[in-house]
Amino acid sequence: MRPARMNKIRAVILDEKVDPVIRQLHESGLVELYDLSTKLEDPEWNALMLPAPSAEYGRNVASLTIKVSRILDLFSNVSVGEKAGLSGVLNPKVPAKKKLSFSSSEEITSYIENVLESVEGEISEPASKLAELENRKTILETLKDSVKYLSGFDLDLKFLGEGSYTYIVSGLVSQENMSELESSLEEATEGYVEIVKGNPVNKSEKEQKIPVIVATLKQCADVVGAELRKSGFERLDIANVEGTPSEIFNDTEKELLGIENETKAILEKLNALSQKWTDEVLVLHEVLEIEKERAEAYSMTGKTERTHLIEAWTPKKHVKKVQEIIESASEGYAVVEVSEPDEPVERIPVMLDNAKAVKPFEMLTEMYAPPKYNEIDPTMMIMPGFLIFYGIMLTDAVYGLLLTLAGLVLWTRMGKVSSGAYNLGYILTLSGLSTVFFGILTGGYLGDFMYQFLGMDIYTTGFALVNPLGESTYISAAKPLLSLGGIDVNNGPMAILLFSIVAGIIHLFIGLTVGLKESLSNGSVLDAFLNQGMWILLILAIVATVVTGNMMIAGGAVIAVIALCMIKGFMNGGILDALLGAMDITGFLGNVLSYARLLALCLATGGLAMAVNIMAKLLGDAVPVIGILIAVVMLVFGHAFNFVMNGLGSFIHSLRLHYVEFFGQYYEGGGKKFSPFKAKREYTSN
Amino acid sequence: MVFENPLLLGAIGAGLAVGIAGLGSGIGAGITGASGAGVVAEDPNKFGTAIVFQALPQTQGLYGFLVAILILFVFKSAPEWAMLAAGIGTGLAGLSAIGQGIASAAGLGAVAEDDGIFGKAMVFSVLPETQAIYGLLVAILLLVGVFASPGVTTIAALGAGLAVGFAGLSGIGQGITAAGAIGATARDPDAMGKGLVLAVMPETFAIFGLLIAILIMLGIMF
Repeated sequence: MRPARMNKIRAVILDEKVDPVIRQLHESGLVELYDLSTKLEDPEWNALMLPAPSAEYGRNVASLTIKVSRILDLFSNVSVGEKAGLSGVLNPKVPAKKKLSFSSSEEITSYIENVLESVEGEISEPASKLAELENRKTILETLKDSVKYLSGFDLDLKFLGEGSYTYIVSGLVSQENMSELESSLEEATEGYVEIVKGNPVNKSEKEQKIPVIVATLKQCADVVGAELRKSGFERLDIANVEGTPSEIFNDTEKELLGIENETKAILEKLNALSQKWTDEVLVLHEVLEIEKERAEAYSMTGKTERTHLIEAWTPKKHVKKVQEIIESASEGYAVVEVSEPDEPVERIPVMLDNAKAVKPFEMLTEMYAPPKYNEIDPTMMIMPGFLIFYGIMLTDAVYGLLLTLAGLVLWTRMGKVSSGAYNLGYILTLSGLSTVFFGILTGGYLGDFMYQFLGMDIYTTGFALVNPLGESTYISAAKPLLSLGGIDVNNGPMAILLFSIVAGIIHLFIGLTVGLKESLSNGSVLDAFLNQGMWILLILAIVATVVTGNMMIAGGAVIAVIALCMIKGFMNGGILDALLGAMDITGFLGNVLSYARLLALCLATGGLAMAVNIMAKLLGDAVPVIGILIAVVMLVFGHAFNFVMNGLGSFIHSLRLHYVEFFGQYYEGGGKKFSPFKAKREYTSN
Repeated sequence: MVFENPLLLGAIGAGLAVGIAGLGSGIGAGITGASGAGVVAEDPNKFGTAIVFQALPQTQGLYGFLVAILILFVFKSAPEWAMLAAGIGTGLAGLSAIGQGIASAAGLGAVAEDDGIFGKAMVFSVLPETQAIYGLLVAILLLVGVFASPGVTTIAALGAGLAVGFAGLSGIGQGITAAGAIGATARDPDAMGKGLVLAVMPETFAIFGLLIAILIMLGIMF
């Protein structure tokens, strides 16, 4: 019920033997390294040893990582890739793990360099060709764009630019600047200028531009250039071509087409190469990532002239194994010391330690906050309550079946590659089964589908225990379940409400009992009594009242609790707090009444399903011929919507009852999660 | 009987249930939707998340719709004032959707920054729905005929509906607190527990409303 007990391991290891120790600890994933760098700032420690730098091979690893990443980038760019598709998402392939084991960084580096050499040998030529083609393509496309504006001119473009005596330039001028430009050029060159205008083109929606070719004498080039710039002349950069614009245009198009075909061929080739090598390169990438983590781990250790000091947290049950690993990896050149946690509790990492059947529910605990090291782990207690509440709130056998199937897919298929999907799938599968159970109990099969369409009222048969909307064979005005203080529990809603409140009181009682135990072990008896004890007595008093029918017991208990709350408030902070303390009783009442949502949400699912059925039936009866079709569509979409909405709602409201009402009695949370120093292996195995 | 056809008051109740709750849900979903549009503009992959958060404030409208259907089709023979009160209670409590919309918008914003906070943001965003659930609860209790006291059969029933309905507006305040708490939790995940305590405070008033409604229905008055 508590997080795993931790030990601190301290090892002094000879320099030469540190690397194998770090490697093997990393593979085992049993420890969380303790960062010594802050401790080593302390002068007393500092006199003994210095913080160690990252391992030297880290630099090598970094440069190899860059190379490998570049290849992966290229592969992901060229892969035309078969789409993963729905079946791929629902049933992902687990990559085959490649078995690799190395004993030193040199081995890894040489292995990676070897593989890289053969990969690069095959891809470098097509890759550079691809880059070249892409380059040429951009050049041609700009040229094509420029030449397009000049399509109206019949001029060999090789004359553009500076000739022996002339200077010819082409470009675009906006329409309103045209006449001004003409006159200013005329003036600046004393008439030695020729301007040929083409047909106006729309460059963007707003402005029309006129393509022009301006020819002048070589010695006027500078003044012409200045005038052109002034008028907002947009020069078209065309050089090293020959032929009329339309000829060039056609030529470029032809060449572009050729490039496209060539690119396609190369892409195909690269794609084939990527299919061949991607897995291998991913392996390299993973090996490098792991290696990088190891190199960085050094910086958490301390260093003397010939030794390293490593400190690490490990769960008590793994201490022996860790000790063995260190001793065997260092071949005995190590001193290992195991000690109880010597840090304040909030610094001790927390590892939840539950049985396999409960473990996925740790997700729900951690969503709130992992427990503190010395706090109780509530996961075990969440599980039954969560499932029961979920089932009651969704209560529909068909929805439950759907949820179970969805959960199974998530759990057994997608769960193979994602631990989040595994946990959620497991929780949903169990929630689905619980929903089926409560659905059968309350006769919910797509709401009242059977009654609306088959005319069969399940509540007049013996197949449903309670009818959330009225009477059933077992609970009716003729056969009341029981009578409480003048109210007969003689129909479904009342029975479920009674159940909800009782379940709530039991739930709170469990929480309070756990809290009482915690308070007693941590603090004074008085605190335990004021925080949990008196509420437990209040619940007991209410139970006694119900059993004996004597209202005095509950009344007395309520008055006593109010008085105690005021005393507690007064002890904490005077008169004002005492008055506020009197309100605590409404908080308690609120907690109990909050469980009434079980009834409301149970009815919301069944009621909305019924609304869908009623509407489908109305549509089916009202519209001739295609009515049935519309009714079926209405049913499918309506129920899908209701299922998703209420499935989600039940999940969160079930969680809420735990987080707010249940945890409020005993749980605080806020521990630091144990994060093991562990090699993440997806494509490789050791 | 005030009217020859008792369903007349019921029809008004059904209309108010769908109408007011729909108003709340519309505004709430609108607030979340605006946040969603911003998030999706930044990252189109977040569309699904945005839809999930936007679904939360829509439940109030569904509860209103549900109560309307119950009044018109299932509990046609319930006391007339009870039908009206059920509609008014569910409708007004449905305005908590405005608060839920504010909380959901904040939740969505936090998730857009950090996917890991999805579950926590969800829990906070669903808090202001309690008020609507209490409204639904009182509506059902009024309709199923468990109580036959004057608190259900006379105009006093309206008091029950108004109590749970107006107290349900505390959902707006709760939504605002929840939005703040989501921001705090996004910054420091350990703040969740304390944030929940603060965010649950405004619910006290909804519980007062529920309590008074139950007392009226039980006929414990005067």
